[in-house]
Amino acid sequence: MVLDTPEEQAFDDIVFIASQACDAPIALISLLDNDRQWFKARVGLDVAETPIDQSVCRIDIEDGDLLEVVDLSQDHRTNANPLVIGERAFRFYAGAPLKLRSGEIVGRLCVIDTEARPGGMNETQKVLLGALARQASDHLELRRIARSSERIAELQTALVEIGESIRNSADVGEMTHTTSQIIGRVLDVARAGFGMVDDDVRHITIERDWTAPGVASIAGRHQFEDYGAIRDHLARGEPLVIEDVLTDERTAGNPTAMRDIGIEALVNMPVRQEGRTIAVLIVNAATRRIWLPEELTFLRNVADRLEAGVSRIRGELQQEMLNGEISHRLKNMLSMVQAIASQTLREIVDRKPVENFEQRLMALSAAHDVLVQKQWADADLRAVADAVIETVGFGDRVRLDGPAVALGPRAALSFSLILHELMTNACKYGALCQEGGHVEMIWSIGDESGQETLVVRWRERGGPTVTAPTRRGFGSRLIRIGLVGTGGVDLRYEPTGVEADLRASVRHLAQA
Amino acid sequence: MPKPIVLVVEDEPLLRLFATDMIEDAGFEVIDVPDSAAAIAILERRTDIRIVFTDVDMPGGIDGIKLAACIRDRWPPIEIIITSGKAWPTGVKPPERSVFFSKPYRQDRVIDTIQRMAA
Repeated sequence: MVLDTPEEQAFDDIVFIASQACDAPIALISLLDNDRQWFKARVGLDVAETPIDQSVCRIDIEDGDLLEVVDLSQDHRTNANPLVIGERAFRFYAGAPLKLRSGEIVGRLCVIDTEARPGGMNETQKVLLGALARQASDHLELRRIARSSERIAELQTALVEIGESIRNSADVGEMTHTTSQIIGRVLDVARAGFGMVDDDVRHITIERDWTAPGVASIAGRHQFEDYGAIRDHLARGEPLVIEDVLTDERTAGNPTAMRDIGIEALVNMPVRQEGRTIAVLIVNAATRRIWLPEELTFLRNVADRLEAGVSRIRGELQQEMLNGEISHRLKNMLSMVQAIASQTLREIVDRKPVENFEQRLMALSAAHDVLVQKQWADADLRAVADAVIETVGFGDRVRLDGPAVALGPRAALSFSLILHELMTNACKYGALCQEGGHVEMIWSIGDESGQETLVVRWRERGGPTVTAPTRRGFGSRLIRIGLVGTGGVDLRYEPTGVEADLRASVRHLAQA
Repeated sequence: MPKPIVLVVEDEPLLRLFATDMIEDAGFEVIDVPDSAAAIAILERRTDIRIVFTDVDMPGGIDGIKLAACIRDRWPPIEIIITSGKAWPTGVKPPERSVFFSKPYRQDRVIDTIQRMAA
């Protein structure tokens, strides 16, 4: 809008030329608003605006023609006007409409004389006044386009900012609060917020809304019906756009409900999912307001982005719950296996194999815990190692060092079993079975024949002298299966201590 | 000297049997019940229970976490061991002196804990 903008030379020039051409002491560019007319440029008059009921310019404005009143004091439409009967004593008036390309008429370029002109203006003056009015309209139009494209750019930037904050939000509350904040700032409104609606779209529950300083929050549950006939639009998924709650037919019946919470104008933008309205984006203004098309497009886009963001978070939550449930069942199943084994093997006198079995189960369960925490995505090698070592003990005598390495679910389970064998072996026969012995497990990633390769180096020191076992037990065979099931294991029984090098391509580890 | 008594609360019969055998083998007397209501009924009737070993997920409305809180409140001297296939819920404070084991648990560690509590 051009209302209330500073004077500009182009408009000043136009009124000056009009006054000269029409030989009139007063010339004005008058823009019409609901309750007033405002003079964008003026000569010969010392007021910047008048109430709309004193406006001569508005007479027959919808006709779009030149209006000429040769004697205002004699015309029934103006003979009671204070500007005519008062000390300003307007007598002659001629005004050409200011018509935009859209067809919208926003006001008039007019000339006024304090003397009546029974003959009216001559033809040249009329043509000139019309031509000048077209010039003024073009200037208004250009300014409007410039302002609108500036506004669109501003809204675009805000939309990008909102998109980013939605992507980075971990929960719906955070997402809607930052979004409301940005909307509030860029639209310069009193309040912005977001609420989920119940199934039949009768109630809305607004969480943490954003409010301008001094404006009260309306967080909480509200019934649409209490605020006017607004529910059906939202239920159908149509935006509710109200410029003035006093005059809009949907709220005029009981405007106090809105005005009590500081709303004079509003936009409610429904957020849909599977053909249903699930939430509403609310924007409230504390003064009457004409919502621009670009602002409404902006809000529609924000609602779409929120919709996508909400479904993403809901999907994640559902997945998390499902993972938790699966994990819980799996752990119960492992407990059952443990119980069955324990009961079945109760009579066996040699407890060693029974304990071995149970401990391997524990190692598997520990790796599983790490995977659950990571939603069955990648587990970090170090986290799996810590968990397995915890089930065995002696953590203080094992030094771990290496970069972060992502293990896929299968690699994580294999690694847990291998590490468990190495650990129990070290406890029984190796470095951890006597005082002063210790283990180093160092891993690194390097390039080996063009492939990014993880090498885990297990080194035992300070234990009794090692002799290679005569028989290959299950444990050593388990170790030799390797991190991704294809070997890559070099297990050496050095006299100074057991050494093992485990190799696997980083790509396979993450995929396995 | 009579054996210390451990109350085992577990709804899954196989796991209840397993826990009972494990604790009895370690030299304790065991009373086993399938839910929290039965556990409370026993505790109200007897005064000789030293330790309660309870699962978390159980039917009947009172889970093991609520049971543990109730025991700490009504029978402060009783020691509590809690076990679950789920992680300990975030934001919930475990009762004082209670010990938590994730399932499946290492038998030797559970027995060590029971022996320490009974000592």
